[in-house]
Amino acid sequence: MKKVIEGSHAVAEAARLARVEVIAAYPITPQTHIVEALAEHCANGSLNARFINVESEHSAMAAVIGASSGGARAFTASSSHGLAYMHEMLHWASAARLPIVMAEVNRALGPGWNIWTDQTDSLAQRDTGWIQLYCEDGQEALDTTLLAFRLAETLNLPVMVVLDAFFLSHTFEPIDVPDQQQVDRFLPSPTPRLRLDTAAPNAFNQLVMPTAYMEMRYNTQLAMEEAVRRFDQIEKEFKAIFNRDYGPVEAIHCEDAEIIIVTTGTVTSTCRLVLAELRARGEKVGLFKMKMFRPFPVEIIRRHLASARKIAVVDRNFSFGAGGIFAQEIRAALCNLGQHPQVFGFIAGLGGRDITPQTLTEIYNETKNDSSPAAESIWIGLNQEIVESWSN
Amino acid sequence: MKNSPFKELPLFIPHSHTSTAVNKTGSWRFFHPIYDDKTAPCSAACPLGQDIAGIEMLLSRGLLKDARRLVLNENPFPAVCGRVCFHPCEKACNRTNLDAPIAIHNLERFLGDTALSPVEMPDIAIKAARNKRVAIAGAGPAGLSAAYFLTRLGYRCEVFEANAAPGGLLRLGIPEYRLPRDILDHEIKRIENLGVTIRCKNPVTKDLLEKICQDYDALFIGSGYGRSIALKIDGGHLAYDGLEFLRRLHLGEKMSFAGKAVVLGGGNTAIDVARCLARLGASPLIVYRRRIQDMPAFEPEVEMALREGVEIKELLAPIRLQRNQSESSFAASSYTLNLQQMKISKNQIHGRARIMPDGEKTETIKVENVFVAIGAEADALWHFPATDTAGAFSLSHCKFIDRKIPLVFGGDLTNPVDSVADAIASGKQAAMVLDTYFEKGPAAVDNALAACRIGPGPALSMNAYLGENRQTRNPHVVTYNEIVTDYFQTAPRVTPSLLDANRRLESFAEIESTLADQAAKEEAARCFSCGNCNACDYCRLYCPEMAVRVEKGRRSIDMDYCKGCGVCATECPRNAMALEEEIK
Repeated sequence: MKKVIEGSHAVAEAARLARVEVIAAYPITPQTHIVEALAEHCANGSLNARFINVESEHSAMAAVIGASSGGARAFTASSSHGLAYMHEMLHWASAARLPIVMAEVNRALGPGWNIWTDQTDSLAQRDTGWIQLYCEDGQEALDTTLLAFRLAETLNLPVMVVLDAFFLSHTFEPIDVPDQQQVDRFLPSPTPRLRLDTAAPNAFNQLVMPTAYMEMRYNTQLAMEEAVRRFDQIEKEFKAIFNRDYGPVEAIHCEDAEIIIVTTGTVTSTCRLVLAELRARGEKVGLFKMKMFRPFPVEIIRRHLASARKIAVVDRNFSFGAGGIFAQEIRAALCNLGQHPQVFGFIAGLGGRDITPQTLTEIYNETKNDSSPAAESIWIGLNQEIVESWSN
Repeated sequence: MKNSPFKELPLFIPHSHTSTAVNKTGSWRFFHPIYDDKTAPCSAACPLGQDIAGIEMLLSRGLLKDARRLVLNENPFPAVCGRVCFHPCEKACNRTNLDAPIAIHNLERFLGDTALSPVEMPDIAIKAARNKRVAIAGAGPAGLSAAYFLTRLGYRCEVFEANAAPGGLLRLGIPEYRLPRDILDHEIKRIENLGVTIRCKNPVTKDLLEKICQDYDALFIGSGYGRSIALKIDGGHLAYDGLEFLRRLHLGEKMSFAGKAVVLGGGNTAIDVARCLARLGASPLIVYRRRIQDMPAFEPEVEMALREGVEIKELLAPIRLQRNQSESSFAASSYTLNLQQMKISKNQIHGRARIMPDGEKTETIKVENVFVAIGAEADALWHFPATDTAGAFSLSHCKFIDRKIPLVFGGDLTNPVDSVADAIASGKQAAMVLDTYFEKGPAAVDNALAACRIGPGPALSMNAYLGENRQTRNPHVVTYNEIVTDYFQTAPRVTPSLLDANRRLESFAEIESTLADQAAKEEAARCFSCGNCNACDYCRLYCPEMAVRVEKGRRSIDMDYCKGCGVCATECPRNAMALEEEIK
């Protein structure tokens, strides 16, 4: 049934429909609406789950790790500093192979204190062993959360569903909220392969000697590689029931494009407009939306991007001393090909600054007009008055 | 997934097939914890050694019947004591240091009142009958308690009472606004229901005494102080005996007064007389030769009297009382009272400031009535036999004399403090003394009593005497510093509703009300339960080895896994645990 709800509540609805059994969370803007809605569901009986109040995000993740170790379907949500505080436990969740699902609303890290969108928080967790899926709109956020549970439980890996702050989390859109029966068909109750059982006590995650640690890590990597294939398979099942799919990436007009703009999250929607305008003017431009960041779908990326002349990557994040993180990874994915396009890295929209159609047109023009990138990272829309004041 | 074309992924994580129970962490231990119940300061301060922490724990959990059983184990008069006892327990309460003491007397009264209904009454255990009869002289709190405890120990008891109804000072001394008579009747009835025979209008005369010595195996004498001490001043005979006034009032005589009535004295009887006079129309004035803070009357009683309009003049001693010539035919009586002003001397005697006349300063007041309540003494019949005769010994609350049959004196005759609780304590002590005497002989008495002492004072526990759980308790009295106060939040002490101050003087209606169920439970939940495990379970929750076992409500330590970290004993909020070193 279509409902006009905000992005946060789309995620909360998905968690409710997934019949999560344990939720532990600590509030932080802009994530709070998600767990607030779930807390209400728990309180009024529309969700039969245990909501554990904790004193920090570290404990929130520890609590869902405990719940998941016991075989329960567990969910949490966080943002920014909260996610950073979970860092240690994020490693634990993936190495313990627990199918936890977390909604992560991208928010800038302080200082300067800032509650608006910026991907640096989730991308700083890229090496924790979590699958990361970025969403463009409310419907995708709801659907991805449902997919995330299937994916997590199939692979025994935790999944992070990533949303832009406010542009997505607090924006109301008409969203198709599926029936419980439909969701139950797609997502049966969990059947954990390993779990703590008081009737047959055992222990997990004891000391592992150097003789086995590497194999343990390699085993996780095999699951990550498998995730690309399983995502596709699970999405087919999803489409059969809900008639919607997204793919790990979405390539629009990339086949004949000379220049391909790479986006993630809500910027993609803005770029769809720009793409239509440029194509109408006869520009040979394509749009490549990256939904899946971990695992990084290298083969798929190569397939779609290799034949273009130039790639313009829009990064709403930054790795200090290096560059935009998506640009680095795409460059790395392409560099071993004999012939590969030039990769232009653009930094835009940090700390919630708008990325407008004008911003994206400027990015396109600069990519088209320069024979090679002017710098490793090109910062778009900097206030020159401020920047120039520093050179005095 | 059933129809998935993919095979299940290999999952490689460290995982044992046994529990951590294989690791016997008990082998690391150098210390081990023990459950070590200690003594709560309230229990040590209570002349009856009541298990107050245990009672409040049961009450807070709504286990009223069990709480009543615990109360009645040590005290046959909870509804009476909850009203009239001076509650030294509350002065000792450790909670005072956090916010305010537990309202122990209100809770005792709550349990006492609810125990009055036969449905709510717990069964009182009575030991197998013995072929021994005990006579008891005086049906006051001491005599009735002796009968209660002796009956429970299997003795047949008969109480001889001079007055028309049992109760002693509870009936003839304490005014109704403090102790309604139906409450007293109920508690006495409960004692009679155990099989105690009370023979009223049956004073122990010389003849009866001889008969008792022939027909009974022992005699308890709790005849109390029946006779007031006379005022030895010029015209002292004109002052009306305060105790006699109360007695007549409580026997139902209709009296009314007007004008100023002076009450000479500073004890509880003086206060009772003054407050009764206020209700009968007089303007009472208490004249006391020492200071107000030196009055032997219990402080709350003095405060209540002042609030009801009773005046108190301190440091004035009566020197002469004269009847005035009748000024009008309406004034039945009118007196002039000469008073000597007193002052405090620097010397102290028995810890009290000594007083002396302040030169020639005197005062003269004209009053309508004069009452005297400066103390009481035993009636002529019961002069103390000498205690240095062979086979005689003194205890905290009793004197024992081995005559033809053993005699035990108790109550006001022998008590260190003239209070209802001490009277009951003397009855309990007498029961233990006589039982030990018959069972093991007089030489065993000291040890038998020492074994059931609660705390360092004279308080004795019948539970401990019967060899039940309190016998093994550590006598150490828990101090406030030993309470882990992090576990307690401040909470206001309950205040029972009081009769409107304006209404009090209109009748003898009871002033304080009994707590309601929920209020009593909440108040009981404030109790620290000093030194007494109340099953809060923090020891079990905090044990990192899950070595605390609970079976049928009893906690024990699994020594296979206790590694001696001491978290349980350190976290016990109420010092009911201890750590012992192990020498290996």
